[in-house]
Amino acid sequence: MQKKDLLRICLQNLMRRRSRTFLTVLGVLIGCCSIVIMVSLGIGMKETQEKLLAEMGDLTIITVSPPQNGKGKVKLDDALVKRLHNMSGVVGVSPKQSLEAESIRILSGTGNRYVADWTSVVGMDTDQMEQLGYRIINGTTVKHSGDIIIGEFLAYSFKDTLRPEGRNMIDRWAGELDENGKPAELPAPYLDPLKSTLTLEITTESGTIKYPVKPVGSTKEDYSKGYETSEGIIMSLTDLRKLLDKIQGPKKKKLPYNSVVVKVSSIDRVADVEQEIKAMGYVTESMESIRKPMEKEARQKQMMLGGLGAISLFVAALGITNTMIMSISERTREIGIMKALGCYVSDVRIMFLAEAGAIGLIGGVIGCVISFLASVIINLVSIGLSPENIPAAILGGENINRVSVIPPWLLLFAIVFSVLIGLGSGYYPANKAVQIPALEAIKSE
Amino acid sequence: MNPPDARSRPIIEVKNIRKEYPIGDETVVALKRINLNVMRGEICCIFGTSGSGKSTLLNQLAGMEKPTRGDVLIGGVPISRLNENQLASFRQRHLGFVFQSYNLLPNLTATENVAMPLLFRGVPKAQREAAARKLLCRVGLSHRLDHFPRQMSGGQQQRAGIARAFIARPDVVFADEPTGNLDSKTTVEIMDMICTFARDYHQTIILVTHDPEMAAYADRIVTLIDGEIVSNQVNNKEKARHGT
Repeated sequence: MQKKDLLRICLQNLMRRRSRTFLTVLGVLIGCCSIVIMVSLGIGMKETQEKLLAEMGDLTIITVSPPQNGKGKVKLDDALVKRLHNMSGVVGVSPKQSLEAESIRILSGTGNRYVADWTSVVGMDTDQMEQLGYRIINGTTVKHSGDIIIGEFLAYSFKDTLRPEGRNMIDRWAGELDENGKPAELPAPYLDPLKSTLTLEITTESGTIKYPVKPVGSTKEDYSKGYETSEGIIMSLTDLRKLLDKIQGPKKKKLPYNSVVVKVSSIDRVADVEQEIKAMGYVTESMESIRKPMEKEARQKQMMLGGLGAISLFVAALGITNTMIMSISERTREIGIMKALGCYVSDVRIMFLAEAGAIGLIGGVIGCVISFLASVIINLVSIGLSPENIPAAILGGENINRVSVIPPWLLLFAIVFSVLIGLGSGYYPANKAVQIPALEAIKSE
Repeated sequence: MNPPDARSRPIIEVKNIRKEYPIGDETVVALKRINLNVMRGEICCIFGTSGSGKSTLLNQLAGMEKPTRGDVLIGGVPISRLNENQLASFRQRHLGFVFQSYNLLPNLTATENVAMPLLFRGVPKAQREAAARKLLCRVGLSHRLDHFPRQMSGGQQQRAGIARAFIARPDVVFADEPTGNLDSKTTVEIMDMICTFARDYHQTIILVTHDPEMAAYADRIVTLIDGEIVSNQVNNKEKARHGT
């Protein structure tokens, strides 16, 4: 038989029992929809999670610290920095040394009117800042001795000593928070440190020293890089060494670094590089330790949701099998006649498989269309119901968290899966049909 | 298919077939030991009462069932030994059927029903339906081409059935009580039609019936009683037709 004719007969037979076909297709459609929507919710969840993580910090930064209880040979020194530089997948390395003192205050303004009672001062290789992914949001990077870079929100650490205690600081969290839990609008701080001269007042056992610094830029807050990007100060290692010499006197020589920051080229290299550094005996830390379990959890949830959807598709499969068995028992005589007139066994099989497959295909395609629409509606509801949000609901965007995300592969997978389910559930009935003897045609009614 | 001695050799050769059916613990013997030759172009009537084994014999001849023992050869091909697919392709090229209850597919029009044997052979739609329409006109159904079986009378349905049986120009047409459900006037029309087709194309007809009047149309009458051939004689048609 020609393929065209097989297809025609298959469609004719489906159209013959319209309501039954419709109900069976409806079953597949619901199953397909539930899979697509469930999985799309899972994907949406994962996408939102990843955006959240990326906001928390750079996912490709590894912080290397010395081993906790071993003095041994593994030290954070220039040799290590060099070694890390040469590691494959590493794009930037900088040692970090923080200034340790009893108190570090920052004074500014006329008569030192503005005072920050506490801050952290970190020395690092300022030439590597760009490679490490520090984002200078205002001003420039360190060029001269005495230049510093300040954290994004350092300004809010200052209090105005002329105002009464308790009401002399500006809380940047006081205003309304947006959906990501960030302040929606930042209140104006008392001063702009970038336009002022700052003096560090460092108190240690051996006394207090004052050290003037000149802020030249500020960095974007990034927890993976350290607190100093938020409310601290970054200066060049040479400056920090000088400062330390001033405090401690020149007698002590070169403290080891507190930590070394490593930037890796891409997220999937992080685990490897981290493993390698660990093997060298160091303690490492990265967002990977947060990302991994979150990703795992997201995947588990996705599988669970998909599984729930799959159950309804399997129920639909039973529906197809049932429909096919019924239609075969109704058509027993017809099949017998066809065989008596010389219809090939394989054609009989193909005919019934095609019918079951077509039910799957129709259900799958309509199901995909409906789930796509449903997904757009879900997203619209979460973003805001207005026509201009439709493209965002479909395609997503930089600052849009879609609840339901349907990638093209999911639609393709759903259709293929529905067809396979159809063929699978048609297999047994088709074999039954094949076994009907031509003799059925002769039996009198 | 057609050896040099095709003309002299019988188109159907039945060699020592026996058919048993297991029913419960017992075995019922439906056909005991049948030997039969039918020549090309012959109209052969298998005559017998109900339960005589005539339908069983037809089933063996048409390859619907496999005999317990013995062989059936059609045109030299042992059809009792073919597998399902070989049998299907053999049926497409060499066999036609006329059924007692017409057996037209209810969801197909008269034209589509008649074209069906060609459909199984893979003949394109336009071509096979043209052939079907031509044949339907010949059986006098030019006004019923696109009607469904339920919209036609029994006689009309059987005429479509005959058109279907002959459309692929088969060597042998099996007719199982073809007029069993029809009135006597229509019976005559139908039988005349079958005989005319058979004569025109030099085709062989195997006619199964319990009705002596029908048997009168045959060239040869094979009478079956209890699964055995009790007589196999050439029919003198003129006498039979006017004698009753």
